[in-house]
Amino acid sequence: MPTSTLTRDTPPPGPPAPRRRGPGRRPASRRNSRRLAADLCLLLAALAFVLPLAWLLFSSVDADSGLTARPPTDVTWDNFDAVMTTDITFRPLLNSLILCGSATAITVVAAALAAYPLSRYSSRLNRPFMLTILFTTSLPITAIMVPVYGLFVQINLIDTMSGTAFFLASSQLPFAIWLMKNFMDGVPKVLEEAAWTDGASSMQALVRVILPLMGPGVVVVTVFSFIMMWGNFFVPFMLLLSPDQMPASVSIFELFGNMGSVVYGELAAFSIIYSAPAVLLYVLIARRLGGGFALGGAVKG
Amino acid sequence: MLATALTAVLAATALSACGDSGSDPDTIRIQFKKSTDAKNKIFDREIEAVKKEFEEKFPGKKVELIPVQVPDEQYYTKVQQMLRSPKTAPDLVYEDTFLINSDIAAGLLTPLDDYLKDWKDWGQYVDTAKTAAQGQDGKTYGVPDGTDTRGLWYNKELFAEAGLPVDWQPKTWDDVLDAARTIKRELPDVIPLNVYTGKPAGEAASMQGFEMLLYGTGADPLYDPKSKKWVAGSQGFTDALDFVHTVYNDGLGPDPQDALDPNVGTKVGTEWLPEGKLAIDLDGSWMSNNWLETGPTPWPEWTEVLGQAAMPTQNGEAPGRVSMSGGWAWSIPAKANNPELAFEFMKVAQSRKNNTRLTIANGQIAVREDVAADPDYQAYVPGVEFFTGLVEDTHYRPALPVYPQVSTAIQEAMEQVTTGDASAEDAAKGYDEQLDSITDGEVVEK
Amino acid sequence: MVSKHTPAPAGPRDAAGAARVPGQAGGGRRRTGPSKHPQPPNSVLRALLRALPVGPSVVLMLLFLAGPIAYCVWIAFTDLQLSGQAESSFVGLENFRTAFGDEGFINAVWLTLVFTILSSIVGQNTLGLALASLMQRASKTVRTVTGAIVITAWVVPEVVAGFLLYAFFRREGTLNSVLDWLHLPSQNWLYTLPILAVSFANIWRGTAFSMLVYSAALSEIPKEITEAAEVDGAGGWRKLWHVTLPMIRRSIATNLMLNTLQTLSVFGLIWAMTRGGPGDRSQTLPLFMYEQAFKNNLLGYGTAVALLLLLVGALFSLVYMRMLRTEV
Repeated sequence: MPTSTLTRDTPPPGPPAPRRRGPGRRPASRRNSRRLAADLCLLLAALAFVLPLAWLLFSSVDADSGLTARPPTDVTWDNFDAVMTTDITFRPLLNSLILCGSATAITVVAAALAAYPLSRYSSRLNRPFMLTILFTTSLPITAIMVPVYGLFVQINLIDTMSGTAFFLASSQLPFAIWLMKNFMDGVPKVLEEAAWTDGASSMQALVRVILPLMGPGVVVVTVFSFIMMWGNFFVPFMLLLSPDQMPASVSIFELFGNMGSVVYGELAAFSIIYSAPAVLLYVLIARRLGGGFALGGAVKG
Repeated sequence: MLATALTAVLAATALSACGDSGSDPDTIRIQFKKSTDAKNKIFDREIEAVKKEFEEKFPGKKVELIPVQVPDEQYYTKVQQMLRSPKTAPDLVYEDTFLINSDIAAGLLTPLDDYLKDWKDWGQYVDTAKTAAQGQDGKTYGVPDGTDTRGLWYNKELFAEAGLPVDWQPKTWDDVLDAARTIKRELPDVIPLNVYTGKPAGEAASMQGFEMLLYGTGADPLYDPKSKKWVAGSQGFTDALDFVHTVYNDGLGPDPQDALDPNVGTKVGTEWLPEGKLAIDLDGSWMSNNWLETGPTPWPEWTEVLGQAAMPTQNGEAPGRVSMSGGWAWSIPAKANNPELAFEFMKVAQSRKNNTRLTIANGQIAVREDVAADPDYQAYVPGVEFFTGLVEDTHYRPALPVYPQVSTAIQEAMEQVTTGDASAEDAAKGYDEQLDSITDGEVVEK
Repeated sequence: MVSKHTPAPAGPRDAAGAARVPGQAGGGRRRTGPSKHPQPPNSVLRALLRALPVGPSVVLMLLFLAGPIAYCVWIAFTDLQLSGQAESSFVGLENFRTAFGDEGFINAVWLTLVFTILSSIVGQNTLGLALASLMQRASKTVRTVTGAIVITAWVVPEVVAGFLLYAFFRREGTLNSVLDWLHLPSQNWLYTLPILAVSFANIWRGTAFSMLVYSAALSEIPKEITEAAEVDGAGGWRKLWHVTLPMIRRSIATNLMLNTLQTLSVFGLIWAMTRGGPGDRSQTLPLFMYEQAFKNNLLGYGTAVALLLLLVGALFSLVYMRMLRTEV
């Protein structure tokens, strides 16, 4: 996605840099000591956050893994070998990709369209609509799955990837619209006006002017929606019946043994493979676009 | 205009019928619960073999398998949803027998009596198994393919160290507690006796733990089939709770916090027993699956180290031992498209040859006389003979729609005595109140 | 297809639309329409045409969200069961009466409040703000590393996170190993303080979101203002209280609202860690709802509980709405 020079108002890549103070405002030594203190505090926090993740990394390469994080005595790739099969990893991951990919596409297109009038025209319906949408983001989806199942059987969408993708997209839509509108608010209208004087319609203005300008925003919404769907278990589990359509969030349960026995090493290995796409996607946008902070910017009040 | 087009596409998708739902008269759909153990493909292979045999026997007919691979609870949720509509109902479904009555009451299953009377093999099934999938109307709704039994596993090496007889068969509850006390005295680092308890252990607490005790206190201690009411306020119930109370309050069991860990079952099978940290375990016939070459914790020595004993009745009343059984059965949904063909498939799956193979593959206990007598079966895993012997004196849970709620109430009462929050009497009172609200007062005092 | 709009001057705005939309950038100064906007002559038609792009989203949300929710509202007033009954009947407010007389439900409400206040309002929110403001001062390397780690915790799928945290908090887990090494008393967190353990787990998982929101908000505070405050001799805390917080007030309200609503419906994390136990000491409303609906088969009752959960969410939202409305 080419970012034009006009995207001045998108945040710079990476976290916002500390502001340079004017010379002489504060002695450098004091500034340095403050920086050091901040660094130490952050590293301490990072350590606390990394501890639970350690178990995952250690057990995945430990031949004899339990539930305690300890450096592996006997490093092995066996756990990865064991789960790298069509049934456990490859097919479910491909299904996840198709399911979440298409659902994300639906979400992003629908959200971009919906955000346009909400951002560009004022109407007395805007506020109630936005509030409803914001509130919908918090629905306990589990609670409505039984009626949804009934509905899907009625309209013959049960056990179809397309139906499940539509439902996933709908459940993600409210938040996506909300984010998208906020990003769109950040694009100055002056640029559209130029397009209108050239005789373009609103839709043309949206597709040719606004969306390219809010490129980072679109990417953030896309990635965020994708990550949220990637981990969803209950929806595909209820709406898909055939095993060859099940995504990875369901197939992870293959690693919980019968009668409660769990093969922890394999579970850890699979978890790493399964989490990798979500983490990588995030890293990608963070590197390219300061995407995480763009997300933060869009959520502000 | 992009918007208009999209809206139209959406509406069209919603209205168009996509996904033909198996109303083809030459195809049957078989739903079963696939093992959640990734390495365990045995059952799948067996079903595949049956499918092949069936398709050879009935040329032109096709079998579509629907394995579902999730934890039990979610499997039930899914099955019950699927059975509700002819579009999603399979032709043959594999279910835990204790849910059968729920599904019968909801009108989701077909009675099989007309099919069974023309099937000579049905005579081979032991009587307790025949009633496993019987509805309250006396009709049979499912054919069980195997069962499980429960008893005491004990560690002979630890028994020898503590000066207890290596060939152990307790006659009463007190014998069990005495052995546990001896272990505690002689081997303070060892957990003397494990009885599953509390909500985290779930059905294992109700069945392996509590009902193994309760059913040793008298006839029909939980549900009275004559009056068709649940039993409240029985002495046996309080006594069984008191046993659990004693185990946990006298330090004869695991530390309550370990007993109330959701993964306690894993620990017992993969750590405590193989590592010699537990002397006596009240548990199921399938425990040895943990220690197979292909299991999570291979432990070939278990056959030497562990012994099995039947769980005694409370004071040695006849028949002197008690066991609980569960098991799974094949049923035909009321909304199945091809019930006749589905029953033909069931017959192939349950033929003597296939049932023997399947029982062995599933690590189950035989429900057919001829399978139980099969030399292959008797040799498949040490201890199978002992657990098969328990089938004559076993009990099935009252398979009624409210059983899951009753089971939860039992687990709550157990948990209270385990943590010492309540005495057995108080916990039993609490259960009675719960039972009253679950069954709308349809209870009987015993 | 290009619509034949002729540019026309924008009509006067109606006053009713003057309420501020949450999430509108620029502190809520309303934008006025550009003078060159294409518009059809008829105002009703114009409004409809303008709203057209919202169509697909509205259709999707009506069909897949509003429809099932409406059905849920109906279910909540029946005695529908998952299985075990031939037909269900309308029972009016029975389910709600049952709930308020049910100790388990009351317990779940309290735990939900504790969990939400502790992990969302106090934990994620404060920690997120602290991390964000430290990041403003820290060196680039440290900032990047910390950010990446905190965000990884957020991106990992919920099932996986539940397992990680179970392994972290259990008695032989990582946390106790660390405490032993520091010679601090350790205990079985999941048994003695389960609600605390799951709250910490939720803080671990959700702080990244608040951190991102606050980083963005803090970076937008004009430095003249903070510097002016420093010249006036405002110390760290006073500056925070009198300058920084009022400046990012709207971000705080929105973030609190999203966080709270998310936290109220957390299910998978607690389920994987404790199953709501021991006993029901960590059974928040979503878990209570799940147990009633899918374990005890009482679909009607479970759905009624879900409705009450939404009500709790609505109450919290109202409070935040008020926060958004008051002017500084």
